[in-house]
This record gives sequence, structure tokens and C-alpha cells, in this order.
Amino acid sequence: MTFQGLIIQLLSGISTGMVIFLIAVGLSLVFGTLQVLNLAHASLYMLGAYLCFWISATLSEVTGAFWWALLLAPLGVAIFGGLVEVLLLRRIYDREHLDQYLLTFALILIIGDLCKLAWGVDFNMVPTPWPLNGPVIWGDIIFPRYNLFLILCGPVVFVGLWALIQYTRLGKIIRAMTYNREMANALGTNVPLVYTVVFMLGCWLAGLGGALVSPMSSVMPGMDMVVLIECFIIVVIGGLGSLPGAFLGSLIFGLVNAFGILVAPRLAIAFAFILMIIVLIVRPWGLMGKPE
Amino acid sequence: MMEPELNRSHTIKTIGGLVAVLVGFLILPLFLPLGWLSLVNEMIILALAACGLNLMLGYAGMVSFGPAGLYAVGAYTTALFLYYTEIPFGLALIAGPVSAAIASVIIGWFCVRLTHVYFALLTLAFAQIIHTIVFEWYGFTKGDDGIVDIRVPAFLESITNYYYFSLIIVCICLALMWRIVNSPFGKTLQALRENPERTEFIGINVRLYQLSAFVLSGFFLGAAGSLFCGFNKNVFPNYAHWMKSTEMLVVCLLGGVYNFLGPVVGSIVYILLDKVITSFTQYWPLVLGLVVLALLLFLKGGIAGFISEKVSAGRASWGKGERNV
Amino acid sequence: MFSVKGITKSFGGLLAVNGVTFHLENGEVSSIIGPNGAGKTTLFNLLTGHIKPDSGEILFKDQDITGLPPHRICRKGIGRSFQRTNIFPRLSVFDNVQVAVMSWERKCRNIFLRARNMNQKETDEILDGVGLGDKKKMTAGLLAHGDQRLLEIGIALGSYPELLLLDEPTAGMSPEESNKTVELIQRLARGRDLTLLFIEHDMNVVFGISEQVRVMHLGSIIAEGSPEEIRANDEVQRIYLAEED
Repeated sequence: MTFQGLIIQLLSGISTGMVIFLIAVGLSLVFGTLQVLNLAHASLYMLGAYLCFWISATLSEVTGAFWWALLLAPLGVAIFGGLVEVLLLRRIYDREHLDQYLLTFALILIIGDLCKLAWGVDFNMVPTPWPLNGPVIWGDIIFPRYNLFLILCGPVVFVGLWALIQYTRLGKIIRAMTYNREMANALGTNVPLVYTVVFMLGCWLAGLGGALVSPMSSVMPGMDMVVLIECFIIVVIGGLGSLPGAFLGSLIFGLVNAFGILVAPRLAIAFAFILMIIVLIVRPWGLMGKPE
Repeated sequence: MMEPELNRSHTIKTIGGLVAVLVGFLILPLFLPLGWLSLVNEMIILALAACGLNLMLGYAGMVSFGPAGLYAVGAYTTALFLYYTEIPFGLALIAGPVSAAIASVIIGWFCVRLTHVYFALLTLAFAQIIHTIVFEWYGFTKGDDGIVDIRVPAFLESITNYYYFSLIIVCICLALMWRIVNSPFGKTLQALRENPERTEFIGINVRLYQLSAFVLSGFFLGAAGSLFCGFNKNVFPNYAHWMKSTEMLVVCLLGGVYNFLGPVVGSIVYILLDKVITSFTQYWPLVLGLVVLALLLFLKGGIAGFISEKVSAGRASWGKGERNV
Repeated sequence: MFSVKGITKSFGGLLAVNGVTFHLENGEVSSIIGPNGAGKTTLFNLLTGHIKPDSGEILFKDQDITGLPPHRICRKGIGRSFQRTNIFPRLSVFDNVQVAVMSWERKCRNIFLRARNMNQKETDEILDGVGLGDKKKMTAGLLAHGDQRLLEIGIALGSYPELLLLDEPTAGMSPEESNKTVELIQRLARGRDLTLLFIEHDMNVVFGISEQVRVMHLGSIIAEGSPEEIRANDEVQRIYLAEED
């Protein structure tokens, strides 16, 4: 394996990691605050991708159509998520876990088919926006420019979220609730409102992930299933509810995948699961979560 | 609570009802076209799988995302024995649940050390590992191609005969499960579900009992898998896929997890709905999703729970005094 | 009969229980009191195996039970009721106690016998003893709060304990209910030869029936004696007044 090959593999792993971070971070956030594992998170990601495709196709005459889509699609998903939270999720917060899983599972089915109804079953392409199309050539190393962009987006989103959580009032509330929901309740916070806002934020992040990823892969039915389990793996490895954990977990996932394929291509799929199993057995609260 | 207080006339009515249902199943082949009979066969096998899952889910309160993994272990064990060896069908069939139980001991040992969402995710991870093994080990399991044309004994070739065979096996398994849930062990599992902490402090080693529930559940899931393998005469990796797992969970929810026959009702309704809906729309997932939502929001105990509530309410209004849920 | 020596437990940097030492005689009825946060429930959790102590020793009938898991400690003969009602809500009142009795008789591993009428006599006896005999078919979760606390005790009795640890048994009860509950507990204790150890906030209960009172504050036992001695103890007065219980 040449040095250039290694670099490309490394970059590839990092970009996979950042992509999955962008998708999975919302899942971790929602679980940490609401204590609900939103199985439909990947479906919201898919919705974001579809909205991005649709908006950029509709606005194809306009310059910078993709960037408009990038702005609007996550908002669309967030609004959808808000409705879901208010109308459906609220009713099951104090119910058994099974009910919560089944509700979010039902959403997977519904969102999946709604996308099919709206946009058909064929796959759709979102053109890579200028100036991010084409490769970056650095000596012998060739790497898609858009992937580099995504590698940058990861930390940007991370820092943005981190700032939100550390420095804003909402962030303080989120931190309080992650630690002790009853206390937060007792302190007079409007818990239902906070839940809605945080859920919408999680959906916004999912939609953003979908929109950002859409130029890279085809937008089509079933794209949610492909990433759903990967999202679980990330948040388990990193620690449910932990933002730095999600970042770290994603990086580990991306790198394990990238280098695992070199070592044992047929078992590459299983590596991530094995990692998840190891983490769940040795340290169930993940690398950076808090022990129960 | 799981069984309403039975006075004599109620017992007679219940037994009478069950006998009637059984007779109904027995005479179905006389007037049902073979296509439909095959469907009913599918229903009862799915019912067995769902009841097996419910042993863990409804009785012990352990939510698993990976029952399909053990179902597939049963199916593949039987299939591999029949494909590679000459052993009789009956032995191959028994090997399924037995190996599923063994796998459950290993998987369960790891899983019961966790609770709630972590438990669920770990069961999912193991099921996915099983899926990957079966998918990738082409040399042994034939991977994506699956194992087809599995040999069954001549007398089980016909749809009608396999139907009766399945019915017998499923009834035996259900009888065994009924025995288990009404035993002291079964009551202890329910106590576990209600309050693991308290159960620990009446002298029960909670982890051990949870593992036992996991293994028993795995046994019956494997039995269903083996039975289905003989029914379909093939096995594929998607027997272990998590969509199959969620199908089982939905079936349990549909019928009601707090009733013994809930999963049976659920599987009948599920398969009927599936066939009916898919015949006039391709948006079966959408319909299923809406049905699940409706159940969660309006019919909390599932269909069987709903019926059982109506029945208890009816009896309570006859002046029986305390109400049983 | 029950000896606790130097039990200590810290959480993070917080010293919750600090070198607690005391001794219970057979048949003794005593209480532990103290302001909120004194470490009383943590002490109970240490005694019943829910948490492991950092150091110290617990001896029950001359057997070292330090660090044993809860289900083993229960089998040695120690029962407990919990501060927050800890019953089996969806099971019937009868089933709640029956499962404890079946467990004690090691019948819970059995998957073949029918459980419905198992240990009916013993279960009925306990239910009658706590006054819930006429409600045995009710769903436990639907009971009134006071009755649920009684069921709590009933479940604990199902394990035929010799030492019963009661964590605020009258919590949330009206004075009338409290009195009745206390009478009941006394009757049960005498009838079954139990040694009782309470955590209580209700001073009537404490001074009414305890032979010995121990006062905990910030993780240690700071006073020990008969109810009169404790009532007259200046330091105890100061702690309670300062804390404004």
C-alpha cells in the first residue's frame, strides 16, 4: 500500500466518519435529552435529502440553488419533526419503552412511503454544487472536493452545537435535563417546550445531514435503512447523549471501516457491530457517556 | 391478572371457545383453497415465533430487537443438517430449536447484563452478526443464494399435510408455553417485569431468571424457524434481518403483549392485513405504520387486550366487585 | 444478632456513610432518625446488598454478609420495605405476596406446576395479617396509597424474615393511617418474633414504639439511646432545629 493510498484511505475514513457524524449527532442529542431512541432518525435524514433534491431541482434556474436547498431542507424537516413531536411523541413519553420504539418504527414506515408517494421510486441525483465539484489534486493524491467539504462540515457542526450547549440558555437546560430530568422539571423549566425544541433541533440536524450528503449518493428509497444501524453503532460507541462521544465514535467508525476493508473486505460490515458489542459489554455507556 | 379470575362457567366457556377454534383450524383444509391454506400455515408459524418472543417481551418485560437472529439460527440449523447430512427430517427439525437455545445461552449471557435500550441494541447487534455470518459464509451457508430445495419427507410434501404437521407442532409448543407461564417461574418473570429491584429482594437472582427467559424464548423462536424452513423448503439470510424482527414485534403489539394468545391474534391479523392491503396498493408499509400508530394511541393493550378489557368490564358490571385487568 | 461495624461508603467525593457501627439484639425494635441527606437510606441500601460498602463489616447471626448480592441477603433472613412504594403494580394483591412466598420456598424455578393455588394458606395468612385479605384479587397498582404501603410490608413478610428493615413505612400516610400501620407492625413483630429496624421521620412513631433510637447526621451515628435520652439530647435538638426538618 503506497503512502498516497494510505492518505486516500485515511481521508476516506475521515470523510465517512464526518458524514455519519452529521447524520447521527441528532440522534444522540435527542436520546440524551428526551431519553427516546428515535428509530426514525434516519428516515428524517432521508426526508432531508429528498427535500434538498426537490428544492434544488425546482430552483434549478436560480444560481446557488443547492445552497438555498441546504438552507431550506433542514428547516422543512425540523417543522415536520415539530409536528410529529407535538401530535404523537408527547403521548408516549411516560409509556413503556416498547411503545416508544414501535411508534418511531411506525414513523420509519410512514415517512418512507410518503417519500415514495411524493417523489417516486427511482433514484434521484443532486448535482454537486459549484465550486465543490471535481477533485482536488495534490501531487499523486486525488480526492473529491466535496468530500473535503464534508470533512470540514463535521467539526463546524460540532463546534456550533458545542457552543450552543455550553453558552446558551437552551444549552444549559439541555445539559441539566441530560443529567437529571426531575431536577430540571422541578426548577420550573417548561419541559414540554424544551422537548419539542430539542426534538426539532435533532430533526434539523438529521435534515442537514441528508441535504449535505445528497450530492454524494443517490437519493432513493431505502437510503435510510443503510445508515440507520450505523447511527446506532455510532451513538452506542460514543455514548448516548454525548456530543464529543458522537464525534469520536463517528471517527472511529469511519476509520475502522476504511482500514477494515483493507484487512478483511468480506467481514468489514461486521467490524462495526463487533465494535458495538465490545463497547456494550465492556462499557455500555460508551466512550464518553455517563455511567447509569 | 394475566388470566382473569376463572369461575366454573367461565372456565367452561373458555375451554369451549378454544376447542371450537381448534376444530375450526382442523377442518379448514376441507374448504379452503390451497393458496389460502398455505397462508394460514404461515400464520400459525409466525404465531409460534411471536409467542416465543412474547415469553421474553410480554412476560419478562425484556424488549429484544433481535428475535429474528434466533429464528434464523433454528431455520439454518435444520436446513444445513438436511442439506449436508442424511439424518432424518425429525431430528433435523429438533436440532433447530436446540441450537437456537444454545445460541441464546451465549448471546443472552452478554445481553442480560444490560437493561432497556442497551439490551435492545445489543440483541440487535447479535442478530446482525448472525445475518452477516450467514450472508458472507458462502461456502457453508450459500450466502445470498440461500439453501433451496430442502428435502422433506414424502408425506409432508403436500400443503395440507404440512399444514396439519405445523398445527400439531405449534399446538404442542403453545401448550408447553402455557404451562411455563402459569408456573411459579412464569409468575416470577412477571414480577421481574413489574419490578426487577423488588424481585431481587424477594430472593430471586434476576440475571439468572432473565437469562432463562431469553433461552426459553430462543428455543421457541428456533422451533418456529425450523418449522418455516420445512414449510418454505428454503432458507435465506433475510430470515435474520431486522425487518423480520420488527415484524415479530409488531405482531406482538397488534395482538397484545399482556395476553397469552395475543401474539396469535396478532399474527392472524397481520398476515391477513398484509395480503389484503398488498393486493390493492403497493404502500403496505404506510398502512402498517398508520395501523401501528392507531394501536399505540388508541388500543393500548392490542386487540386481545381490548377484547379482554371488554370481557372483564362486562363481568364486573354483573356485580362481581373487584375488577381484574 | 445483627452487627454493623465501621460501614463506610463514598460516592465520588461525597462521604455518604461514615464508619457506622451498631448492634441489634434479637427482638429489638429500634429506629434510625436524622435530617434529610443524613445517609439513612444509603445505609439501608448497604445493609441489603444493593450497594457494596467501601469498607466495614456486616454480620447477621454471626455470618458475614458484607458484599453479598441482595437476593442472597434476602435468603439469609433479612427483609426490607422501600421508601418509594415498590410493589408489582399489574399483578394482583395475592400474586404480589405469593411470589415472595414461593421464592422463599425455592419453588420459583419450577416451570411445570401450576402456580395459581400454590402456598395459598401462607399467602392468605400474611394478607390477613396486614389487613388486605379482602382485597386479594385487586390489581395492586389500583390500591390506595396506604394499602400499597401495607402490601409493601406484606411482600417483605413473604420472605419470612427474622430482621425487617422498614424504610419510612408510614410515608405519605395520614396520622390515623400511620397509627394503624404502626400497631399492625407491632402486632406482626410480636407474632413472628421479628427484629425491627425503622427509618422514620414521624416522631410519634419513633418515640412511640422504639426501644432504641439512633440519630444519623452527615453519614455518622451521633447519638444512640432510649427515646427519652434522645429527646433530652441537646445536640440532637440542635441538629433538628438547625435543619428545620
